[in-house]
Amino acid sequence: MASWEPRLWPRFLLHKEIHKESLARMTVLEAKHIRKSFVGVRALSDANFSLRAGEICGLVGANGSGKTTFARIVSGLLTPDGGELRLYDKAVNLRSHLDAERSRMAMVHQNLSLVPEMTIWENIALGREKTGSLALLDNRGAVAQAEKAMETVSVKISVRERVKNISPDEKQLVEIGKALAKDPRILILDEPTASLDFHQVESLFRAVRELKERGVAIVFISHRLWEVARICDRLVAFRNGETVGELDFAVQERNEKLIIPLITGQEVREKVRRRSAQREKEIAGRGERGYALELCGVSLDGARLTDVSFSLRPGEVLGLGGLQGQGQEEILMILAGYLKGYSGEIRVDGKPLALRNTRHAIRQGIALIPGDRQKEGLFLEHSVLSNILYPKVSMHRGSFFLPRGRYQKLASEAIDTVSLVPPNPRVIVSELSGGNQQKVVVGKWLALSPKVLLLNDPTKGVDVGTRQNIYDIISGLAEKGTSVLLYASDNEELIDNCDRVLIVFEGRIVKEIRGDDINEERLVVASLNVEHASPDGRTP
Amino acid sequence: MKAHRVVRGLLQNSSFPSFLMLVLLIILNAIIQPGFFSFQVFRMNFMTFTPLILVSLAQATVILVGAVDLSLGAGISLVTVVMASLMQNSTLSMVLVTALGVAAALFLSFFNGFFIGYIGPPPLIMTFATSTMWFGTALLIMPTPGGHIPQAYYMIYGKTLAGFIPVPVLILLVAVAFCLLLGRIKAFRHLYAVGGSERAARASGISVTGTKIFAFLVSGVFIALAALCVVGQTATGDARSGQGFTLNSVAAAVIGGIAFSGGKGNYVGAIIGGIILGLLINIIYFANITSFYQEFMKGIIIIVALLFGAVPRLRRELSHH
Repeated sequence: MASWEPRLWPRFLLHKEIHKESLARMTVLEAKHIRKSFVGVRALSDANFSLRAGEICGLVGANGSGKTTFARIVSGLLTPDGGELRLYDKAVNLRSHLDAERSRMAMVHQNLSLVPEMTIWENIALGREKTGSLALLDNRGAVAQAEKAMETVSVKISVRERVKNISPDEKQLVEIGKALAKDPRILILDEPTASLDFHQVESLFRAVRELKERGVAIVFISHRLWEVARICDRLVAFRNGETVGELDFAVQERNEKLIIPLITGQEVREKVRRRSAQREKEIAGRGERGYALELCGVSLDGARLTDVSFSLRPGEVLGLGGLQGQGQEEILMILAGYLKGYSGEIRVDGKPLALRNTRHAIRQGIALIPGDRQKEGLFLEHSVLSNILYPKVSMHRGSFFLPRGRYQKLASEAIDTVSLVPPNPRVIVSELSGGNQQKVVVGKWLALSPKVLLLNDPTKGVDVGTRQNIYDIISGLAEKGTSVLLYASDNEELIDNCDRVLIVFEGRIVKEIRGDDINEERLVVASLNVEHASPDGRTP
Repeated sequence: MKAHRVVRGLLQNSSFPSFLMLVLLIILNAIIQPGFFSFQVFRMNFMTFTPLILVSLAQATVILVGAVDLSLGAGISLVTVVMASLMQNSTLSMVLVTALGVAAALFLSFFNGFFIGYIGPPPLIMTFATSTMWFGTALLIMPTPGGHIPQAYYMIYGKTLAGFIPVPVLILLVAVAFCLLLGRIKAFRHLYAVGGSERAARASGISVTGTKIFAFLVSGVFIALAALCVVGQTATGDARSGQGFTLNSVAAAVIGGIAFSGGKGNYVGAIIGGIILGLLINIIYFANITSFYQEFMKGIIIIVALLFGAVPRLRRELSHH
């Protein structure tokens, strides 16, 4: 451990007691004019960034603005095409991730770097296993270290559990624990909160602040701007692969509205939340059609869901809120035909229906837009055109040959509606940016004009601009009479888009919040299921 | 809580279903084969089981890292041919040629691992290509079975040490000790990581190429041992002697619960898979099935064994989805 220190730190800085002050202000990471291109696509053209010890610096930007590429260059996973990188005031040439690790740098990856078949402790030790005598592995030490790391991120699961058996948010926390176990001087967090609920975010923030106190320099990459505004000391914005601006919260106000123009390059568009009275009238106007979807006493074994009942009117946007993993996804999965073995009744357009499988659900006009677009939503290696047409083709009935011309027209209409960039149906989906990939996921269901649209955290890891875009499409569909059931891990999205929100807690619906009553405070209070703390007792 | 996890761990263990299958086959075999539990039959059985178990271990190693080795059988043949064509009656020659055989097996595996690691062709195609190369080379050296293996050399394989350890069993014990050692080595842990998720392994700072080459080299050790067994068993060099091992080893590994997608399974499973295949060949032989049906029955039983392995997964899927 001592071997790297004289090399990386100027000698006088080693007497930490005397020079604690200068150490705290030391620039630990500096990047100048970093460039990087992938086959034909320029990911970074002029990235500039600097980071001091004991500082939390936010890194924001739209999808495809080069944040992740930059983080991967800094942590040594990618080699830049040009530019200069200085670590601890010394120019470096980071050839591989191992080099970066020797400089006490750790990165929490957005696309998890965990091996599902291995246990938590094996994953935490992975790549830097300690060996004892005769090069044999020191497993006991690794387990102990993993337990310590899991304690810092306050996860209470056995480190002997296999990663495949734990939930996505726990995986994210393990990923963070893995980075912390390296005892880094520089920590890069790439979208660490994307799959966490606010409770977990709080404990993550506590851990991050503790690290900051200890002099660790932290890069915090996130799309959740209010989180950036809350935790960061400073932030840097990227747009189209360039550094376009900086905010220092020591002098500037901690306000998300100041951040948005940096990201989009445009002035903030004031959010127009539709008057709920007007929405109510609109929805009631379609009332004669009855309910689009009704659930009566739906339960799932093992108390995963208990007696869930609600109804959804045509054109209504109904939110599912609450802490992560309380059963919201199970509700969506049942309705999409993935989960079987539930009890209770589901009625579509007033007719009782036993959903047999996904195909059956789609035929009934129920479409699910999954949160994990890479896994469930898309065929990454296929073109936009074929991705958009898969549902249509698989539901095709009648003629032996597919009506190609008509289908292509449908596809280009869908591409128009979601305003895909570039609007080219021949592009391979994996070449699109994350936000545009998500637009394709939405677009592929438009051709079927579904009656009920189920959304499972549809804007996870999507930037503000695209997020607005996706919700514009959704509200457009709702106006045309499509019913929407939305689960979002982010309360803001529920507040902005829903006519009603149902709070799910341990598999039960514990509260309904409607119209103008939907606000952050109420959602949080209801999510924790502390009913008496609610400011007023108005229950619907 | 802890006991619960232990029980679940046992049931979730990828080699649990194959263990049940093993018990079943042992019972069946004991009924059909006369004197199954006598020492003589035990010794004879292990003369054929040992190479099967070894190739199963070899194949399991490369499957774990996410590859497959179709050149394994041809490699064994080539090693036997090389040994039989060079060996003389002197002790020195026997020792040297044995060492050469082992080195040859390691080289062949390294060749596969090097190309798959650095150039990255699909292992299936790469090892298929090398298998025809090894076979061709073996035929070139020895167009018809023959060569010379001194009696003193091949007799060792049939011997019994200290009155109760047959040499094939001793070889197996050496292999098991090697497995145990591997389990505590860093590179072996990385082998699971690379097989489980290459991207995650890379992000954790693991050399994927190096790990693949390591896997093939480990596999080469098992192949070398298997080749020595085959030489002891057949006492000749034969360009076709290893042919049957290739797909048998894949079947044995998969029956033993090694996931074909890589990163999942363990050596215990591979050993069980090898024994299952050996028992299976025994049962078919002693059940007096005409040769025409033998191969057919073997196929049926392999499918049954695979179904056994699929039971936990099917049960899980039916209950959750």
